[in-house]
Amino acid sequence: MISSFPPGLIMMIGALLIPFLPHIIRQIYMMVLILVSAYALTLGFGIHSKINVMDIEFIIFQSDTLTLPFAIIFHIAAILNVIYGAHEKHWNQHVAIMSYSGAAIAAVHAGDLFTLFIWWEATAFTSVFLILVSKTERSYKSAFRYILIQVGSGMFLLAGAILLMSETGSAEFKNFDIDSLYGQLIFIAFGIKAAFPLLNGWLQDSYPEASEIGTVALSTFTTKLAIFCFAKSFAGTEILIIIGAIMTFYPIFFAVIENDLRRVLTYSLNNQLGFMIVAIGIGTELAINGAVAHAFAHILYKGLLFMGMGAVLYRVGTCKASELGGLFKFMPITAICTIIGAISISAFPLFSGFVAKSLIMSALGKEGLVFVYFMLLFASAGVLHHSGIKIPFFAFFAHESGIKTKEAPLNMIIAMITASTLCILIGVFPSYFYEILPYQIQYQPYDFSHVVGQLQLLTFAAFAFICLWHFKIYPPELNSTVLNSDWIYRKMIPGVLLPLLNLINNINKKIEQLIGFMFMNIRKFFANIMKKNKVFDREVGQDTLIVIQLFIILLIFIFVWKIYL
Amino acid sequence: MKYLIEKFGKINTSVLFLCIIFLILELIGHRHGETSIEDILFFPAFFGYVSCIVIFKIGVSLRSFLMKDEDYYDK
Repeated sequence: MISSFPPGLIMMIGALLIPFLPHIIRQIYMMVLILVSAYALTLGFGIHSKINVMDIEFIIFQSDTLTLPFAIIFHIAAILNVIYGAHEKHWNQHVAIMSYSGAAIAAVHAGDLFTLFIWWEATAFTSVFLILVSKTERSYKSAFRYILIQVGSGMFLLAGAILLMSETGSAEFKNFDIDSLYGQLIFIAFGIKAAFPLLNGWLQDSYPEASEIGTVALSTFTTKLAIFCFAKSFAGTEILIIIGAIMTFYPIFFAVIENDLRRVLTYSLNNQLGFMIVAIGIGTELAINGAVAHAFAHILYKGLLFMGMGAVLYRVGTCKASELGGLFKFMPITAICTIIGAISISAFPLFSGFVAKSLIMSALGKEGLVFVYFMLLFASAGVLHHSGIKIPFFAFFAHESGIKTKEAPLNMIIAMITASTLCILIGVFPSYFYEILPYQIQYQPYDFSHVVGQLQLLTFAAFAFICLWHFKIYPPELNSTVLNSDWIYRKMIPGVLLPLLNLINNINKKIEQLIGFMFMNIRKFFANIMKKNKVFDREVGQDTLIVIQLFIILLIFIFVWKIYL
Repeated sequence: MKYLIEKFGKINTSVLFLCIIFLILELIGHRHGETSIEDILFFPAFFGYVSCIVIFKIGVSLRSFLMKDEDYYDK
């Protein structure tokens, strides 16, 4: 029975019971759900379950070497989310997170595009509640934009799937040709969720509006599901190298000037996705391993950073760099865990980021893509700047903000320590980590050149930041909004459309007035005729005029009828 | 040393020393990069330092037209 259930589906169905359970039992129940779901991962590779509906075959559960690492990390992330959110007594976020993570896990195991589409949309509809739960006007508006864009992405996927089905007779989820129309539609669908340049606005718009628990969950699933889909369907598509390189590059500058530290992390997320997209674009075994390893490690350290900032938000009520500072003495464990996350994302040796990113950089070097290599090297220094230093520095050190608070709740600390430990374990024992990657390759990240080169790059980039701060060149963080690509549909399009709509409205009104004026004159004309000829011996009434007008309209119809038919 | 710590702070001085140690390490062993340009002596150090400054400079220059009031979208 359980073998025919795709992993994740049990979490989605099981989530329906969550509202009826008392708090502690609910937490245990959610853990059990995740473990039962994870059991399906032990079934081995192949197609485990499919159903037939109207002669169309839906592969609802298939697994291979690519699905396994994503399924493992999604389950680990789901467990960390349950622990991290254990202090939340209300059931609403727990239902959303459990069904959201379940949908993402089920999506990874979809064997055809229609099944993928169902889970694709399910991730959107379940995750939007994590933004709505903030209950602010901003979060409501942001959630609305989020769901529109996510559903829009699903529409592209569905269109691609239907076209693929009509052209080839099958909607199997496999490698697609970017030159075909269905390939392009599917590519756009994945690109929206992967936050491609100019399609990324929803990411920075919505994630920081979610609750402290919600952002941790959001940072894990949606974008990494898109990365999985790209790795499965568009590995080796060269355009991805260019798109990915741009993605690693430009969010750095936005992250540097952004004040909201959770929003800084979303820019950083965007930049990290770029590394994965570049690797998928290269498409070699080493590169695909790099993309998967990076997604795996990224979920942990990015989740850890969001957990740290979530804990700060939970305790202090803000995540703005301009209002924070000096929290280390109140929240030392949170600070240390955040620093471990920051060191990991910066790819210091002995931490997870290093063993993952090295694969991608080596793949680039091997393929001789020198320009892109240096773009990514530049982006690596940028990651250190905005995620490695800015996040922990402005939250826990920088200047005295005068805020007095206390350490994060125990459950948050447990989740953060677990994530930190995993970041270190992956960094220290990379060979075990590499074993779960799609391709079995021999790779040694810890050689003299890699380690010394990376340490030089990072310590000197850190030293540059220190110089800028010490000599007071670094400007103070300001309460502000940094314009992003969402400006196009939040300001520019309404700015153009509203005057246009007003103009159309005005023209419409003028036409209405003109028609009214014409009818009035026709009425007067006939009334005068009838009065002059004494058709009626009294003043013409409204009822009479209406009958006459209807009669005239009828005559016109008959006239037109006769001429054209 | 004391003067440096007083002027520059403990953590900053430590980072400075780490930088020097990693430069010395390169002189002891043979470091080679993924590309031939990286084989230039102390290239990663130079690249890291310059990148950070460039990122900062571009970021600050972008402030003038990307940074708006906090309630920009609420107006």
